[in-house]
Amino acid sequence: MAHGEGLSRGRGSLWRTHGPMGVAEGPPEGPPAPAQLLEAHGIEVEIGGTPILRGADLGLKAGELTAVVGPNGAGKSTLVRAVSGLQKMATGSARWQGREVSEMRGRELAGLRAFVPQRMPVPAGVTVREAVTIGRSARLRPLRRLAAADHEGIARAMERARVARFAERTLTTLSGGELQRVQIAIGLAQEAPVLIADEPTSQLDLGATIGVASLLRDLVGEGLAVLLVVHDLALAAAIADTVVVVSEGRTVATGAAAEVLSAERLATVWGADARLSAREGRTALHVAWLREQPLGRPNS
Amino acid sequence: MARRTLVFAALLLALALALVASLALGAVKVPAREVIDILLGNGHGGPDQQIIESLRLPRTVEAMIVGAALGIAGAILQGALANPLASPDVIGVTGGAGFGAILIIILFPGSIALLPVGALFFGLLAATLVFAFAWSGRNRGSTGKVILAGIAMLSLFTAGTTGLLAAYPERAPSAIFFIAGGLTSSGWQELETIWPYFAAGFLLAACLIRPLDRLALGDDVAASLGSRPQLIRLAAGIAAALLAAASAAIAGLLGFLGLVVPHVVRMAGGTSSHTFVVPASAIGGAALLAAGDTLARTLRAPIEMPVGPFMVILGVPLFLWLLRKAV
Repeated sequence: MAHGEGLSRGRGSLWRTHGPMGVAEGPPEGPPAPAQLLEAHGIEVEIGGTPILRGADLGLKAGELTAVVGPNGAGKSTLVRAVSGLQKMATGSARWQGREVSEMRGRELAGLRAFVPQRMPVPAGVTVREAVTIGRSARLRPLRRLAAADHEGIARAMERARVARFAERTLTTLSGGELQRVQIAIGLAQEAPVLIADEPTSQLDLGATIGVASLLRDLVGEGLAVLLVVHDLALAAAIADTVVVVSEGRTVATGAAAEVLSAERLATVWGADARLSAREGRTALHVAWLREQPLGRPNS
Repeated sequence: MARRTLVFAALLLALALALVASLALGAVKVPAREVIDILLGNGHGGPDQQIIESLRLPRTVEAMIVGAALGIAGAILQGALANPLASPDVIGVTGGAGFGAILIIILFPGSIALLPVGALFFGLLAATLVFAFAWSGRNRGSTGKVILAGIAMLSLFTAGTTGLLAAYPERAPSAIFFIAGGLTSSGWQELETIWPYFAAGFLLAACLIRPLDRLALGDDVAASLGSRPQLIRLAAGIAAALLAAASAAIAGLLGFLGLVVPHVVRMAGGTSSHTFVVPASAIGGAALLAAGDTLARTLRAPIEMPVGPFMVILGVPLFLWLLRKAV
């Protein structure tokens, strides 16, 4: 598919924003408010005695893409891992459809959310179809064989993630972009209503990044809720319905990209003299690369 | 997929050939046709049938069970610890079992019947200590902690074994057969005592095939799919400890098999999928040990030699040939 097709097709923040983002067209009136799938408040996490999260909040609605952004070491990945049940919380609450994450068993959680790591290990000789089949195993009882419905689910996940045409290739032969889509296919095979992706584009080139971004936006269009950790603010602004800014272990802003990624916030959180713009389906981050950091942010 | 089917078929053929050879060959040679008739219940009585049924069949079954157990133990440990060097050695079982057996041989030579129990007890004790240390403090259950605790425990028990042998040098020769690894023609007696440990180990290993495939995609993917990575590693360690300790109780120290067989089937099948590697390692290990044992007791019959060296002679050339092709 042509690069950028997904960006122009989606209903990301570009089409819902005003003011500095430059586009003032809102969604059609009338549809009911999407259901709240996740509500997380006051999350604190310590790793090896070091506090990583100091009271972070996060929400996710059905059929929306929420991007979590922030500087290196802000706690973005830890936050999504904590709400996913992959990281133990010291205090705080993360409720999936009203149920506390710490009270749910692994199998139950697997039916609610799929977690796609930044880069998974690539076992030798394992084909794409086999890897997606492993993803489907989340829906199987121990020692139970795959039924016809499971084979259909595997094929559907590969189609949705656009990996079906190389289903019989081994993982070791794939490019970074192809492998990332396979990881998403493994998550889709779980058939959970939420897909959580931790920096899926951080190691990809421009074309592969656009491919993954358009795929995620299309999945949202199909009704999936996506929680995305991302460094690229222009990308977040282009595809996210809601942007959550995390800094020093706390959530400092939540809202549409145009509201939360203001020049002032880019200066205070990232220490950057920069502004975000959106025009005719394109987003850009204009940065004064060689200018002194205005607020002297220490960790560059 | 065709390649895997071919490898499976070749392994099954090798197992069938090893079975017949193990039953037919020895101090008394029995024609293969007669062996097959006896196996199918169409024997005509006589000494050949008695030799096969009361001596060779138990020994062959032991060889196959121990071979399968060590192959599986290596396969699940290498998968669970994501380390190609993992084998029952790295969780301390081999060192503990060796110490337990030598303890009986050296200090209680009059109670040699206790040897399998001693090997089993100390093998499981060593593994328990490894897990206890690896699952305490920071980074509980991490691969690095398991391997380092295992190497420490292996060193500790090996030092104990060496100390015993040095303290009683006159009794050391009786320990050589156990250390080198070998089977005996003692009927079904040992299996009757040890089989529950094999059964528990095989059952647990079968339940671990799918979780290990999840773990191969990383801890995060495994957790996303509802598994608990540390629990999978612990269960794999327990299964491997049961299988390796029970194997040591019957056949002594055959560490090579658990290390090499999973690599051979992985390279031959061209995949690291546990759905293939675990059963193929079981069949490959069973065939290799049955063939090695047949060689060990026929080359200089009626003198029997320890099977360990023969298995290495059989396995290393194949392993090196596959390694050369793989790299």
